Amino acid sequence: MHRAAFRSLFLAALVAVLPLAPRDAEAQQRPLVFGDTMPASLDPHALFDVPSQFVLLNLYDGLYRYQGNPPELLPWLATGHTVSADGLTWDFTLREGATFHDGSALDAEAVVYSFRRLLRMNRGPAGAFTPVLSPENVTATGPLGIRFVLSRPYAPFLSAIPLVAIVNPRLVEANIRDNDFGTAWLSANDAGSGAYRITPQSYQARVQLDLTRYREHFRGWSGNRAPIEEVRVRPVLETSTRILALMRGEIDVSDSYTPPDQVERVNRNARTRVARDESMRTFIIRMNNARAPFDNRDARLCFAHAFNYEGFNDVILRGQVVRNGGPNPNNLWGNPPDLQPYRFDLARAREYCDRARAAGAPLGREIEIHIQSELDQTVQAAQMFQADLRRLGINLRIVPNTWPGITGATARAETTPDMWIHWVSTYFVDPENWVGQMYDSQFHGTWKASSWYRNDGVDTLLRRARASTDRAERETLYQQAIRQVVTDSPDIWVYNTVNLRGLSRRVQGYQFSPVGSGGEIRLMWLEN
Amino acid sequence: MLLALPALLGLVVATFILSRVIPGDAAATLAGDAATPAQIADIRARYGLDRPILEQAIIHVRQVLTGDLGNSIFTGRPVAEEIAQRLPATLELTFAALLLSTLLGVPLGLIAALDHNGPADHLVRLVSVAGLAIASFWLAIMLQMVFSMELDWLPLRGRIDVALGLPPRVTGFLLIDCLLAGDGRRLSSAMLHMLLPALTLSLPGLATIARFTRSGVLETLQKDFVLYARAAGYGRFRLAAIYVLRNAITVTVTQIGLLFGGLISGAVVVEAVFDWPGLGTYAVQAILAADYKALLAVTLVVGVVYAIVNVVVDVLQAVIDPRVSDGTR
Repeated sequence: MHRAAFRSLFLAALVAVLPLAPRDAEAQQRPLVFGDTMPASLDPHALFDVPSQFVLLNLYDGLYRYQGNPPELLPWLATGHTVSADGLTWDFTLREGATFHDGSALDAEAVVYSFRRLLRMNRGPAGAFTPVLSPENVTATGPLGIRFVLSRPYAPFLSAIPLVAIVNPRLVEANIRDNDFGTAWLSANDAGSGAYRITPQSYQARVQLDLTRYREHFRGWSGNRAPIEEVRVRPVLETSTRILALMRGEIDVSDSYTPPDQVERVNRNARTRVARDESMRTFIIRMNNARAPFDNRDARLCFAHAFNYEGFNDVILRGQVVRNGGPNPNNLWGNPPDLQPYRFDLARAREYCDRARAAGAPLGREIEIHIQSELDQTVQAAQMFQADLRRLGINLRIVPNTWPGITGATARAETTPDMWIHWVSTYFVDPENWVGQMYDSQFHGTWKASSWYRNDGVDTLLRRARASTDRAERETLYQQAIRQVVTDSPDIWVYNTVNLRGLSRRVQGYQFSPVGSGGEIRLMWLEN
Repeated sequence: MLLALPALLGLVVATFILSRVIPGDAAATLAGDAATPAQIADIRARYGLDRPILEQAIIHVRQVLTGDLGNSIFTGRPVAEEIAQRLPATLELTFAALLLSTLLGVPLGLIAALDHNGPADHLVRLVSVAGLAIASFWLAIMLQMVFSMELDWLPLRGRIDVALGLPPRVTGFLLIDCLLAGDGRRLSSAMLHMLLPALTLSLPGLATIARFTRSGVLETLQKDFVLYARAAGYGRFRLAAIYVLRNAITVTVTQIGLLFGGLISGAVVVEAVFDWPGLGTYAVQAILAADYKALLAVTLVVGVVYAIVNVVVDVLQAVIDPRVSDGTR
């Protein structure tokens, strides 16, 4: 290429780069940029994890929905429900006038279709229903009536109802390929009725998703004086980039896990703040109760007294969490009011260890603790624990792992690590989500019950609580179960999360709820 | 090119075995957080994850040979489709980094050689050592802190301003698509977004190219024909730029080809820090989700790209130095 051609090319590039200055002027019209993690799939029946709640809350509606903190279960698409005296038959009535994004009516048939699809796919949130509900037992009793007949009483049924998004049957049916329930199509498209709909052609899996306000949403928009018209979901992978992008105004909403040491910095920035809300997400160090030395209660109590709760919560996490001494989050019903959490006390820990050693517990062997390498807190907790246990003559080896690696291993007691660290998030607001599924031995093989704890008395209490429809009775039963579980000390309960979501100061109306972590865009507006 | 096929087949088999022996249960990931053991077992059977690993490997190789990379375990979507969406972003970034490395590295190497053991040589050596020693992750964050946060000159992350959005997709290469759409604003935004990641990615390559060019030029300067050219009265820079560099550059070109593979793997870190939606971030997400189908496909695609680049390098060498093709060298 000749020199003149090079020169022209360079000049062309320069001219192209020049018109960049008026960024501030453009900023006034910027849509809301949501920088939290995107779910792997947009099919609300295929996945059930924390990121998928964003889809559930914004693209879809359910019969009931949790709102506020503490979360209140409110009728949503339904106007209400009745339950038979035996707790088996649940009748819901739909409100009139709700429509899907294509304008078609959302009726009882759509609700029946959605529940049957979920149960037949047997994925995502189906696990909350399959033990008590089969597809043929979900029926329409009229254009607005839906009946569920359970195979046995199951009190958490209503708590789990908000997990199920109502999908547009006509759209899904038209896109079924090879008996896939339409999941390939729905993983990248929208068949909902929610307050926002997908901007066509905008979706790239795990990269971007653009949403547009659905003006005809059945709740109306009168409660929001300036609803957000356009939303751009742009997940930011790296924590440091996420914080900087928020402070620079490139994103408006970060994830809920701002590192505690960054909270002050974000709050100091003129553009940004951190919304601080106590959630229902507990941090737990698990012990494999099926394997020595953790099959010995004294050994477990030794470990429970050797973790420096105050040091971790108040110093490392800068007090941005709340000490939680039992399996349920503090702010949930069903906790014994007099529950005493274990304290960091190395002298007592030594006594328990000595007793355990005397009973033959092999505390001299190397104990492995698996951490989730990409999550700093699990690393920090393990390192702190390692240092304190060394003072008791216990050798703790830290093993890097990933969430899939650990959950895969917890399917069997033999492959479950000695110890591992994780959180239990709010999937539904009921003690069943924590103590029920963590310590009833019928859940062995799931990651939630991965401490392989077994106590027949606790099993009985939890099963009775699950079957009762009397809230007061359930509360008493859960309190008894929790007292026994804490006495047995199967795990080490460290804290309940305080959600630390970074927000641009132009974001107004943000309302936190432990279900969905405040990701409901319908409630927000922007101030320039 | 045919010689690359057995290597690629080996790559497919080796990566399959590696991906299945590392910890992680794809079925558990796919089932989601609240899954029951029955749900996980159902998924394991549906995806054939319960079959013996050898059988799974044979099925996988057979699928790959028919051009089917399968569906992502995590998203449920065809992996080929997801990679086709991501690959242009990585190639664009890699080419930009390679271009920067070459455009800066060759002149630096030449200058260093011509000023052998002089101040310029020492300076280039310093740059080279720094380029190889500085971790990309650290450099990326430093560049973000300086150019985005302090000076506010360049964007921090992503491929284009969020408010502008992407141009209509034709090739997936953003710069080309912006040009095809005749959209100057998007083009300028895309170019600015590319600067910091490309610069971060280019530094180790720049150092390598500068060092190889320097040693190639130094070696060539000792040749007899250079002495004769000097005696014939050629100026120092004319001699270096026209005769010495052409003779010295073949080794550098080989190195550039090898660098390409390194740059693609280096892109994993750079893409993660700059939120560049390419194959690197795709691979990271696949690893964290135990999505072995996606991981295998990424490895295969990178292998194929690497093989193609090697062929291109061979051809380029023959063009630059005719002795390569006529066998006299």
